[in-house]
Amino acid sequence: MADAFERFLAARLAPPERMPDRRFVSIVHSRILLEDRLAAERRTLVADLIKQLVALIAVAAALWFMGRAAPVAEWFAQHRAAGLAALLVAFGLLVALLSRRPGANPGAINHVASSAVSRC
Amino acid sequence: MAPNNDEDLALSRRAARGDHAAFAMLVEKHERALRGFLIRSVGPDVADDIAQEAFIKAWRAAAQYDGRARYSTWLTRIAWRCRLDALRKVRPVEPVQPAAEHATAAGEVEDMLERLSESERAALVLCEGHGWTHTEAAQLLDIPLGTLKSTVARAKSKCRAMWEGADHG
Repeated sequence: MADAFERFLAARLAPPERMPDRRFVSIVHSRILLEDRLAAERRTLVADLIKQLVALIAVAAALWFMGRAAPVAEWFAQHRAAGLAALLVAFGLLVALLSRRPGANPGAINHVASSAVSRC
Repeated sequence: MAPNNDEDLALSRRAARGDHAAFAMLVEKHERALRGFLIRSVGPDVADDIAQEAFIKAWRAAAQYDGRARYSTWLTRIAWRCRLDALRKVRPVEPVQPAAEHATAAGEVEDMLERLSESERAALVLCEGHGWTHTEAAQLLDIPLGTLKSTVARAKSKCRAMWEGADHG
């Protein structure tokens, strides 16, 4: 049979008798949503990076093949400055095109983060 | 399957399919015991951080819960690993030493627990306060069953000495 000390210890070490802490549940829920969102963003970024690399390699390969053709190689030999300028313009356009992310909303993560923090 | 575990298993399976409401029910059901254990064993300053981390890991690993152990056991194991990981990050693993080894008078359980090591506190809280079996607690703390039993006995003996020293005896 438990003595007074055993009863004291069991009573004090038992989980507290209270209602579920809704605030804690809400914090956990917010953190899960935030982490899910960040993980999705990371996956999108990696996928975009791979696509951009493939696109750059494809364009570079196409230019290389074009540059090997005799008429183009001759033109480049005669007009080096103009050729270089054209390549630079094409490269600039390509970078501008690839750096656009359709549907991306840079403020979305900040919004989720700030709403999670405000709930906490 | 552990007894009375069907509901938790069903909720966990729903959570594994992405059901946030089901997981919120699991958090509601188990936060009280988990946080109670953590507050007693690792202290109130870090208890809630570890509890949140444990629930987030439980959400991610919901598909791995198979119902063989009680959900609370599975969850507490995750929380304890979070605690050990956090300790490893700040310094090499070494047992947390109690505030004082000698048995002095202490009337409140918080004072008594302060004078035990972290593993003694965890073993005592689980076995004496939360109704865990010695086997479950030994698995959680990753120590042999015999060591767990002697840890609980030593912790109780220290607490009893402090309790009796505080004019309860």
